[in-house]
Amino acid sequence: MQDAENVAAPEAAEQRAEPGQQQEQQPAAEPPPGEEPPRPGGPGAQEAASGEDAAAEVEAGPGPDVPAEPAAGREEAAGAAPGSSPPPPEESLAPVPAAGEQPGGAAEDGGADEPSFSDPEDFVDDVSEEELLGDILKDRPQEADGIDSVIVVDNVPQVGPDRLEKLKNVIHKIFSKFGKITNDFYPEEDGKTKGYIFLEYASPAHAVDAVKNADGYKLDKQHTFRVNLFTDFDKYMTISDEWDIPEKQPFKDLGNLRYWLEEAECRDQYSVIFESGDRTSIFWNDVKDPVSIEERARWTETYVRWSPKGTYLATFHQRGIALWGGEKFKQIQRFSHQGVQLIDFSPCERYLVTFSPLMDTQDDPQAIIIWDILTGQKKRGFHCESSAHWPIFKWSHDGKFFARMTLDTLSIYETPSMGLLDKKSLKISGIKDFSWSPGGNIIAFWVPEDKDIPARVTLMQLPTRQEIRVRNLFNVVDCKLHWQKNGDYLCVKVDRTPKGTQGVVTNFEIFRMREKQVPVDVVEMKETIIAFAWEPNGSKFAVLHGEAPRISVSFYHVKSNGKIELIKMFDKQQANTIFWSPQGQFVVLAGLRSMNGALAFVDTSDCTVMNIAEHYMASDVEWDPTGRYVVTSVSWWSHKVDNAYWLWTFQGRLLQKNNKDRFCQLLWRPRPPTLLSQEQIKQIKKDLKKYSKIFEQKDRLSQSKASKELVERRRTMMEDFRKYRKMAQELYMEQKNERLELRGGVDTDELDSNVDDWEEETIEFFVTEEIIPLGNQE
Amino acid sequence: MLGIVNVWYSVNGERLGTYMGHTGAVWCVDADWDTKHVLTGSADNSCRLWDCETGKQLALLKTNSAVRTCGFDFGGNIIMFSTDKQMGYQCFVSFFDLRDPSQIDNNEPYMKIPCNDSKITSAVWGPLGECIIAGHEGGELNQYSAKSGEVLVNVKEHSRQINDIQLSRDMTMFVTASKDNTAKLFDSTTLEHQKTFRTERPVNSAALSPNYDHVVLGGGQEAMDVTTTSTRIGKFEARFFHLAFEEEFGRVKGHFGPINSVAFHPDGKSYSSGGEDGYVRIHYFDPQYFEFEFEA
Repeated sequence: MQDAENVAAPEAAEQRAEPGQQQEQQPAAEPPPGEEPPRPGGPGAQEAASGEDAAAEVEAGPGPDVPAEPAAGREEAAGAAPGSSPPPPEESLAPVPAAGEQPGGAAEDGGADEPSFSDPEDFVDDVSEEELLGDILKDRPQEADGIDSVIVVDNVPQVGPDRLEKLKNVIHKIFSKFGKITNDFYPEEDGKTKGYIFLEYASPAHAVDAVKNADGYKLDKQHTFRVNLFTDFDKYMTISDEWDIPEKQPFKDLGNLRYWLEEAECRDQYSVIFESGDRTSIFWNDVKDPVSIEERARWTETYVRWSPKGTYLATFHQRGIALWGGEKFKQIQRFSHQGVQLIDFSPCERYLVTFSPLMDTQDDPQAIIIWDILTGQKKRGFHCESSAHWPIFKWSHDGKFFARMTLDTLSIYETPSMGLLDKKSLKISGIKDFSWSPGGNIIAFWVPEDKDIPARVTLMQLPTRQEIRVRNLFNVVDCKLHWQKNGDYLCVKVDRTPKGTQGVVTNFEIFRMREKQVPVDVVEMKETIIAFAWEPNGSKFAVLHGEAPRISVSFYHVKSNGKIELIKMFDKQQANTIFWSPQGQFVVLAGLRSMNGALAFVDTSDCTVMNIAEHYMASDVEWDPTGRYVVTSVSWWSHKVDNAYWLWTFQGRLLQKNNKDRFCQLLWRPRPPTLLSQEQIKQIKKDLKKYSKIFEQKDRLSQSKASKELVERRRTMMEDFRKYRKMAQELYMEQKNERLELRGGVDTDELDSNVDDWEEETIEFFVTEEIIPLGNQE
Repeated sequence: MLGIVNVWYSVNGERLGTYMGHTGAVWCVDADWDTKHVLTGSADNSCRLWDCETGKQLALLKTNSAVRTCGFDFGGNIIMFSTDKQMGYQCFVSFFDLRDPSQIDNNEPYMKIPCNDSKITSAVWGPLGECIIAGHEGGELNQYSAKSGEVLVNVKEHSRQINDIQLSRDMTMFVTASKDNTAKLFDSTTLEHQKTFRTERPVNSAALSPNYDHVVLGGGQEAMDVTTTSTRIGKFEARFFHLAFEEEFGRVKGHFGPINSVAFHPDGKSYSSGGEDGYVRIHYFDPQYFEFEFEA
């Protein structure tokens, strides 16, 4: 997706996320349709829930006393169906069955006297507490023996009694940071401590904190603490030594998941969501008309996503994510994550990250889950407080690492173990943002100024953690990191408030990643920056700057000697977003939403504007993965009328207007990277003339075929219509006499049937004439 | 001007005369074939018969709810009108035979068809005055016998309210205009669906050219449906389609509110449109209109 590089991207991301957000507003407690709510067990309760008639109640009642029976049955029904009568207090804790399912009970035949809630004398309560409120009992407070507040510290220096006091002091200083130490124990042997100690905290949370932070603490060269929970020893002692060989899973042949790349005409596919999300279609893009491949009702509940290489289509459901693929778009994998809202694929398509706000609990992190796509297994769960900056986890370009930023910390994990790289997060106090290079395992991050320490941008190689470049910056307000798609360049957009000047000044710090020691050049910008975007696969970048309505676009070129040159500036642009063709060179400048959907198609090789156009109220622009076509669309999610998507060539020639009822979203199916070598691509470019002849001929053929088809279609339509008119007119002629009769013999079939009866009348008028040419369509 | 029906010269828009009497919005007007009488129906819960030339009110038929549609049959002897489902009253189609003055005097129609499910939003007489063709709120089309009142044919091709029905000059076919953004062509006798003309906006009115295979559609975004109705977004244009090919070949801009009604001049050389903006526009076609032909 293009806008990953745009400054305006967050806005776009919000747009996309909208359906997910809507989901959030649904009451969390509402069970998803079709799912049976948990129901209290017990034969009595079941009877009452299934049968409303007296017979069922009689069966339920165990006693021989007839008048008492209905009361007993009702009593149980009351327990099973709240709402019919006030249930006993402890039973009201039971899981709520489908409300309203059982409106009967006491209320139905009652009305006479207060119903009796007491059990009959011979009633045997055979419903166990566990069955009734198992889930609540699980959380019942338990007698604590306090061992979960105890930690064990290994690699403590071994000392004699003379230095024990000093050691205790040191230990206390280190470990009381995490909470109050209520007890300590230093085991001794032969007059010396044993090298491990036990510490007890006031609460288990402190112990957990201590383990998290003090493990690996370097006291001195010889002594690095290993800190563990006492309870963990117990846990890991009891792990069985025997290992069961996992059962071999039968191989499922999913067919060729990349079949669409073998299409003879090299057409691309795209997905379309319309009817406000009720229907989803997959089309072949075709110059003439889109060709439908698959259309399904309620395929997704919110929106869809393609995987980065286009292999899978992900659909969103209340209960989780489903992946589809292959020629028939069969379901390939399912990931159960209740209330899932956001997902992210690893760039290698091996892993899927899902986010749901519903499932997280203290001891079972499930807000974010990382899944193995091939096996469908959950690899790891994570806590997550806010999904505001999705993706929370950013992947390295090869999918080997993924990283997450929390307060003063950058945590880098590796695949496939999903564990922390080197078992340790990076402490980077004040870290504001980070980003992986798309061309290598390098992380760029920045930290703001802190008193006398300047703000800095750091480039770090991984997994070595070697800092390959650090750049200090002063008076920084904000930084934005923009990688060029191949990782050849990094642009850091720096907003500064230099001393002695007023307002914010923006600099672009351009890092040349492929050169020794990563030289940096600076481009100063005098105006407000609206959007920035690198040319993919190139060395140019485009900047939208200025204040509406005086917005300009500038194209810069990073030359091989490092000089950054302004190639061209166009002023008076109606644009707020930059969309580069995925192949580079061509760019669409779009004034989305508030700018009415103005479009400019620019060729940056010679900086000519190829076409100026407009798709009124357009909300999205999507380039196809090959850079041949571009789609502009008005999504129902942002605008309620004229929902449609229009197809343009890269030069800005409008090919199709596809109106779709309540159209929501169009996404091109991505393609995996090309298998051709650089030389082969060069060769193709060299021979382009040869190929273009063949293609032009093909185009001519299909065009003449198309116009022939159109004429042919019109001809048959006309023939059919004439046939129909002939029949109708025959009937009309047959009825002539009846008509004459009805109008007293006057023939009104033609306007001038009764010229003889006409009377001449002369009336004078003053006429002003205004000529409006007909047929000037928009 | 509420409740006044006017007659204008189409040449220059000069007013010729008025029919005064109604006290509410007039929903429908029809004249009989020899223009002796004019029939009007209004939201003031009345349907009135007028002398066409003098403007004198000849009859006043009181109803329980607003009169939505009205019309003379082919011979000009029988009138029909339909009333709205409103204020607890049902939707009815009433038939009066003008040759029997007692029916008018006693306000006793010779037939009254109740219409319970989906109210009538547009209606015209079928050919030869044997039936009426009614379009309903839910998009259904019914052909009712003018003698027995029974439903002769029922079709549902539209998904939303049918705003207008207009017959071709020879009355063998008719075009419907619907809120579902389409206009459709039907055969008057069988009610068989022939053609569909698609737009992006609700269609309020559609008319067939008397001498070309053309149809004109008028409509536009309802003002209440959009917060800021620029004329641009409203698309208040008259749109011309070819009858057989279903393809649009021309548009006329000008109105700055939805078009409520369109009509061809009987000679087919001009057409008029009436809009929510309060204007009636009359457009004469340029020579290209008559020369234009599709490649076929």
